[in-house]
Amino acid sequence: MNENLFASFVTPTMMGLPIVILIIMLPPMLLTSSKRLISNRFHSFQQWLIKLIIKQMMLIHSPKGRTWSLMLVSLIMFIGSTNLLGLLPHTFTPTTQLSTNLCMAIPLWAGAVILGFRHKLKASLAHFLPQGTPISLIPMLIIIETISLFIQPMALAVRLTANITAGHLLIHLIGGATLVLTSISPPTATITFIILALLTILEFAVALIQAYVFTLLVSLYLHDNT
Amino acid sequence: MPQLDTSTWFITVLSTIITLFTLMQLKISLHIFPQTPSAKSIELMKTDNPWESKWTKIYSPLSLPQQ
Repeated sequence: MNENLFASFVTPTMMGLPIVILIIMLPPMLLTSSKRLISNRFHSFQQWLIKLIIKQMMLIHSPKGRTWSLMLVSLIMFIGSTNLLGLLPHTFTPTTQLSTNLCMAIPLWAGAVILGFRHKLKASLAHFLPQGTPISLIPMLIIIETISLFIQPMALAVRLTANITAGHLLIHLIGGATLVLTSISPPTATITFIILALLTILEFAVALIQAYVFTLLVSLYLHDNT
Repeated sequence: MPQLDTSTWFITVLSTIITLFTLMQLKISLHIFPQTPSAKSIELMKTDNPWESKWTKIYSPLSLPQQ
């Protein structure tokens, strides 16, 4: 049962060819490009979405932080689209893989931290010691703050992986239970079906929220460091 | 857990880097956000008369400032 449950999270290869490349490169192909002033609905919808994201996310940043807007917009679009596509049956979601999420979290976090150290060295080092701490606690607090700094990318990656994986697993389990229960006792099957419907709605929300949270935290680390 | 099988990590990380840092950004940077069109002032569109745009030899030499 263990092997079967996690079977959908295996990186897909077809006869030895890694088709995971094609799967990860699918979301950019869904984005349209148009040189017209007014294009079709699909393109206008994407344009509106990007404008909404930029306005919501980049207002708090200084001009130096706003140079990251393309990066953050592409990050939130990538995570959101991969999560939503993963809710279709029998699809592979790259964000369930720890490798993808670490690959997204570590460079962005490291970039923000290195930016902070290069441009505002004193302020970045001052983050390690909050104001007003008793003198005796200083060594321990510096150690704790360092650990909490280095755990940020790990937390980003693991949070996204765990949330999406857990949601997919729940859908698998409850869907399987509903299927088995239809032949045993239909009223219980309807209850589990209602649970499944609610869970799917939750998963839609989680897909979008996780994208938002990831990007928001990266933007927060950026704000600290610019 | 299949997520911890590191044999596939290289290809996944490579394709994620290419997708996130090149493809997505290229596609999103193609979106144009034009400013709302505003009416131009008519005065600015006034063009010069032909004799005002290029100096022509219309002044007699004796009427030029003496040097």
